[in-house]
Amino acid sequence: MACYIAWATDDEIRKKGTSGGFVTAALVSALENDLIDAALVVKRIDVYEGIPILTSDPEEVKSCAGSFHAVPVNLTKYVDPDLRIGMPAKPCDARGVIEQAKRLQIDLDKVFLIGLNCSGTMLPLAMRNMIEVLCQLDPDSVIKEEIIAEKLILKTKNGEKAIKIDEIEEKGYGRRQSCRYCNINIPFMADLACGNWGVPKGKKGTFVEIFTEKGETFFRNAVDSGAIAFEEAEEKSIFTRKRIDEAMKKLAEENWKKLSNSLDGIDRLSYYIKSFENCIGCRSCKIVCPVCACGEDAKCVSMDYETDSYRISMFNLVRLLHLMDSCIGCGQCEDVCPVDIPLTFIHRRFAKRIQDILDYVPGVNLEKPPFYETKLMEW
Amino acid sequence: MEWEPKILAFCCNWCSYAAADAAGLERRQMPPTVRIIRVMCSGRIDPAWILMGFLEGADAVLVTGCHIDDCHYVDANYKTKNRYRFLKEMIEELGLEPERLRLEWISASEGSIFAEMIRDVTEKIKVLGPSPLKPEGVK
Repeated sequence: MACYIAWATDDEIRKKGTSGGFVTAALVSALENDLIDAALVVKRIDVYEGIPILTSDPEEVKSCAGSFHAVPVNLTKYVDPDLRIGMPAKPCDARGVIEQAKRLQIDLDKVFLIGLNCSGTMLPLAMRNMIEVLCQLDPDSVIKEEIIAEKLILKTKNGEKAIKIDEIEEKGYGRRQSCRYCNINIPFMADLACGNWGVPKGKKGTFVEIFTEKGETFFRNAVDSGAIAFEEAEEKSIFTRKRIDEAMKKLAEENWKKLSNSLDGIDRLSYYIKSFENCIGCRSCKIVCPVCACGEDAKCVSMDYETDSYRISMFNLVRLLHLMDSCIGCGQCEDVCPVDIPLTFIHRRFAKRIQDILDYVPGVNLEKPPFYETKLMEW
Repeated sequence: MEWEPKILAFCCNWCSYAAADAAGLERRQMPPTVRIIRVMCSGRIDPAWILMGFLEGADAVLVTGCHIDDCHYVDANYKTKNRYRFLKEMIEELGLEPERLRLEWISASEGSIFAEMIRDVTEKIKVLGPSPLKPEGVK
């Protein structure tokens, strides 16, 4: 559909935003024109910490401008179903919201998904280590970080330092594992997708692609109220963006193969038993999971007893089974796990099998998960 | 004494449970390795029960029900089929031998097929040995 290069007309927002401040400006104008009741944004504490907030104060939205690469939070579970919400969404946020909509927890008509191109996020601690070891900088002195043209740019009071993403990854720091093999970088399931891929060099603007009518409404509202200015994207920009996306996808596939092959030839059952052995049953992975909508009486919880002496707890097995058709690989479970079980990898191993066979990608449209369909297929 | 496998069978009230009955009436020979749980319909079997069966120490789990389109409850065995496919993938990914989970459609008159299935599964599991998911202390 339509592709534009857009930027905020407000100079301050344009300067503060990573690539033209389109998202911030559009959110603010939607709030002011009563298109949405509240915006769901991540409030900046410092470079390594942010809190998701639901706010209707335009000033607060403005203060949240700029990208975050070290706050890997998924916003899905912060959506208030009673409000009309505008939210910037990474592909995994958007997919989470759509999965919740399938489970009737969220009304998609009420949520504006402003997709953000995403090439991955980093864990705060890994980022701090990386900055200290690879860049020889004091992690606390960094005031802003950006990823532009495959380089991570760290700004401090005394200047800035750029480091190639490839180099970071080669040395073992860098993105979260789940991001390394995630192959959806452009949120085509959201209402519109924004990002700096394909923006001509030297221009401070956001590449915006509009997918749905809702996205069109959102975009037009910002244009009509004068919050943003735009121009049609050129052929070359569209091509560059596509090329970056394809390169990222290829890399993701390679990364997955490499990681997945590490289980070849070993006894998988003992690997899984050993991995889950440390589980303390805190249920954090279930609470943060953006596709789980079961609530407190979920089957995985109610069929699990502390006194069981099973090789793998019922909690983990039921979750593995239930997520086989709906896991989106966002990595939240692994992030919160207090005993560092490689949960996302394991869930992806199980889910990829059935999702590949059924050719079903969760979280991209409102098609029901195969597990709930009865007569849907002849096996 | 030779090790005997423990096999858990879920049987549908209307067909495969009756088939098990018929197998007995017809004096079919089969090893006493099977424990039957009767359910009203194979569509009532929660996949989690099958997992629980393995965790409690079953060496094999059989899911049996009416032939497709013969279901007493119209289309519930389609659901069984659907769930079975998921479970099969899961058992394979877990690293359990795929022979340990089996889906079979058996009608009320097919006592011989029921007995044949039990003999066949018992033989196969004897070759495979005890399930690696068996908890400690369970034989």
